[in-house]
Amino acid sequence: MEQPVQTETWKARSLEELIRILHQIFAEDKVSVDEVQALMESYESNPEEWLQYAKFDQYRYTRNLVDNGNGKFNLMILCWGEGHGSSIHDHTDSHCFMKILQGNLKETLFEWPEKKGNGEMTKKSERVLRENQCAYINDSIGLHRVENISHTEPAVSLHLYSPPFDTCNTFDQRTGHKHKVTMTFYSQFGERTVC
Amino acid sequence: LPAGLSQWFPALEVLDVSGTGLTEMGTELLSLPCLHTLLAKNNRLGGPGSLPKGLEQAPLARSLRVLNLSGNRFSEMPPALLQLRGLRSLSLGGNRLHGIPPDIQELHSLEFLYLGGNFITAIPPELAKLPSLRYLVLCDNKIQSIPPQLAQLHSLRSLSLHNNLLTYLPREILNLVHLDELSLRGNPLVVRFVRDLTYNPPSLQELAGRTIKTRNVPYAPSDLPESLVRYLSLASNCPNPKCGGVYFDSCVRQIKFVDFCGKYRLPLMHYLCSPECSSPYSSASQSSTSQSESDSEDEASVAAHRMQKVLLG
Repeated sequence: MEQPVQTETWKARSLEELIRILHQIFAEDKVSVDEVQALMESYESNPEEWLQYAKFDQYRYTRNLVDNGNGKFNLMILCWGEGHGSSIHDHTDSHCFMKILQGNLKETLFEWPEKKGNGEMTKKSERVLRENQCAYINDSIGLHRVENISHTEPAVSLHLYSPPFDTCNTFDQRTGHKHKVTMTFYSQFGERTVC
Repeated sequence: LPAGLSQWFPALEVLDVSGTGLTEMGTELLSLPCLHTLLAKNNRLGGPGSLPKGLEQAPLARSLRVLNLSGNRFSEMPPALLQLRGLRSLSLGGNRLHGIPPDIQELHSLEFLYLGGNFITAIPPELAKLPSLRYLVLCDNKIQSIPPQLAQLHSLRSLSLHNNLLTYLPREILNLVHLDELSLRGNPLVVRFVRDLTYNPPSLQELAGRTIKTRNVPYAPSDLPESLVRYLSLASNCPNPKCGGVYFDSCVRQIKFVDFCGKYRLPLMHYLCSPECSSPYSSASQSSTSQSESDSEDEASVAAHRMQKVLLG
């Protein structure tokens, strides 16, 4: 992705339309981060349109694939029960967009740990993302932890990753040590994946 | 709750009265024989009358499976709650609880217990008497220590302890063989080896008791007062496999680090019979780093088999 080649102001009036426009954008050679972020933010979350993908698990957050973007991107819905959170992770050189569809998610940004670092990781900033807001991150910006800090409300988010990836590194906040993990889908295209 | 609820909807199975400003739930609940799920989150419950009187005799006490009271104003678990013997899932997240009553063990069918976001300072060992508990959430509280008995929760799959005041964990936590997920971030966990926290020299009774046990001095109940026979039965074995000693009340608390899955180091409490009894690989004067490292090797192989996924800081 590079600098914008044309400034468009998209308005996605439904999830289906959002996906259609994304396919259109990613068919081009050059894609603008700002354009994608604005598009994602323009979609007003309508639970009727995504409820079929929102499968919750009692114990931890779930990743539910919605669209595989002809290999150019992965669009998925993440479901976070009360208190569910991710570890600190990177994004394997990909772009990551995260839009809140329901509830709130807290995003804490961290600096990359020192090469042979053995100390507590440095927190850069934190914020609580509200419904319909869309955040963006990539490895050059830093690492993050995402969590649903509510003890009463579940949260649902829409994620776009480009290019798609299925492994990343998780980091121990106290030491900066990293550990490669493989990510799996709880469901794909609305069907529960059994593994 | 509106009067006549059970007359209009006698077959009611799921009732969701969340976000309605309720301050109490009355006797209308008691005549709903099919009710298995009651969601009453984000209300103003917590005072007397939050749960109806006569709950223990009502069919609800046996039929209710899921109860969600998160986002209310409970400062303690109402005793009536503990009458719900059929309860499988209980949520009291985001209330004002300062503790957990030992009678929680009465909820013997409980599988899911969410107590995140309260002011809980301690966990009663009786919590470990819940044989079906699979998911336990205690995050965002003020918990300073975990009772070792918690390792008896054989069904536990997920334990959430993040954002508390824990400095160490009991070594028994390694016994939770089915634990898939453990969150510990946001606790002031001790990072460096801490040696000799406090050591009270053993009493004469303790020294005599140790000698009898380690030398296998024979004795029978007719030889000793009953209190001493009981005392001798309480001997604990020193965890140092090379020591083979025992201790009673006097022990050294040492924090040792166990390398979980070869990647993370967790501080676990060990009890040793004296400061001189430490790692089998080192003498008492050894530097702290190598001591923790050599110990962590044997623990690591045990731990690696036991813990599958650890969600740490």
